[in-house]
Amino acid sequence: MKKIINKPEDLVIEMCQGMAAAHPDKIAFKSKYKLITRKTLNKNKVTLISGGGSGHEPAHGGLVGEGMLDVAVCGDVFASPSTIQVYNAILDSESDKGTLLIVKNYSGDCMNFDAASEMAEEDDDIMVEKVYVNDDIAVKDSLYTVGRRGVAGTVLVHKIAGAAAERGDSLQDVKAVAEKVIANVRSIGFALTSCTVPAKGTPTFELGDDEIEFGVGIHGEPGIARESIKSADTLAQEMVDKLLKDLPFHGGDEVALMVNGLGGTPLQELYVLNNAVYKLLEKANIKVYKTFVGNYMTAIDMAGASLTLLKLDDALKELLDAPVDTIALKQ
Amino acid sequence: MEKATLKSVMTVVDQMADIIIKNEVPFCELDSVAGDGDFGMSVAKGFKVLKENWEELSKESIAQFLKDSGMIITEHCGGASGPIWGSAFRGAAKYAKGKEDLNVSEVAELFQSGIDAIQKRGGAKLGDKTLLDAIIPATESLKESAASNISMKDAMKKAAQSAVDGAEKTKDMVARKGRASYVGERSLSHPDAGATAIGIIFTEIVENMSN
Repeated sequence: MKKIINKPEDLVIEMCQGMAAAHPDKIAFKSKYKLITRKTLNKNKVTLISGGGSGHEPAHGGLVGEGMLDVAVCGDVFASPSTIQVYNAILDSESDKGTLLIVKNYSGDCMNFDAASEMAEEDDDIMVEKVYVNDDIAVKDSLYTVGRRGVAGTVLVHKIAGAAAERGDSLQDVKAVAEKVIANVRSIGFALTSCTVPAKGTPTFELGDDEIEFGVGIHGEPGIARESIKSADTLAQEMVDKLLKDLPFHGGDEVALMVNGLGGTPLQELYVLNNAVYKLLEKANIKVYKTFVGNYMTAIDMAGASLTLLKLDDALKELLDAPVDTIALKQ
Repeated sequence: MEKATLKSVMTVVDQMADIIIKNEVPFCELDSVAGDGDFGMSVAKGFKVLKENWEELSKESIAQFLKDSGMIITEHCGGASGPIWGSAFRGAAKYAKGKEDLNVSEVAELFQSGIDAIQKRGGAKLGDKTLLDAIIPATESLKESAASNISMKDAMKKAAQSAVDGAEKTKDMVARKGRASYVGERSLSHPDAGATAIGIIFTEIVENMSN
């Protein structure tokens, strides 16, 4: 393992402190419960809280700011924050309009965010609602599993729910629009390499030079299939086919497209992938209304990318276009 | 030792913490085949804080000691381990309320109360390839031992064996909870990390009892 690191156990705190030092105009870091909060909290809007394990930078701290999140709760690398951390995030950012928790659908996150919201509702009478993002189509969903994972689509949920909250919408309305995004967003990813969790020091899985792992999540957990390396066009085709079938998306649809790097892939490759995807969508008569290319929801240093498509209507377009001022997203 | 006292409960928890801390890396290895490889670290983190705060834990009663332990575990274990292990301790504490010591049947009920709390939080059941696949058989074995008047030591020995057997059986299961559930059939032939850990912890505690 070669990383810019002191001690693995200090990494999250030092990273958050470094982030706050770089952006004192936008965020503040409260180290006791590892909360990255907006510099100034507005009591007259619905509070948006998200978070999860660290290692997905810039998510979630980089998505805190005007038009997006109010608080990001930072767990250890790839591990959900504790119930106590989330509970304190809710207490610290209480507003007059209630709180929405945006949770990625993982067992640990769901348990901790659920338990924390119960505490805040029962002990402190704070209105708390929750939505669970599950955009990853790699995972088969059935009655017998925990369902699909939340991945890069979460960023678009933050963006749109954030705009609705900023506009002054009620808790129920912000929740409804977040759920609308969740219902209309789909993602799929692949890895060219594993990632290396600092505390472990070695790659989570081994991939040969000619192999890729298709359908990976954002924690270095294995995907659904080991495949041989292929051209960008073939890879894009495989992903777009799966995505379009899943919702399904139809000719004439308008979408937001996110080509998200997993942390170890150069921008040039992400743009190559975007080019391939763009051509395929054009062929399918799907109009790309807005594109995001970059690292938004990463898996530390994994080489690879994910594709996210969000089906849009006029209401979602308006919220997607609203101003935002965070470390990772600014418009 | 026919009854578990506050002192013996504290000893068991202390040893449990040592075993978990000692196995931090192996427990992570178990979790990296189908999971995300952080299980050992998450659990060890909470139990290290428990050891550091040992002096501050209530020594008033079994219930209070377990509750204090559960609060620390809830706060300091990362990921899914905090709510699961923390709920187990807090659930067990609930049952121990007002009891000065515990016979085999009561130890079984204490475990059951912990299991109930885990299931309430996480919603897993027997056969989902989780640590419950080791704890539930161990608890059932304690109940059987209580019914046939077996000594505490022998009852714990049998329970440990049931936990190990239960963990072994998770090899043939497809994970339905946690991150291992995402890899579907690929989790087959690998035992569940949590269940395996329970088997290891139980076995080593029983060995310590015999010495």
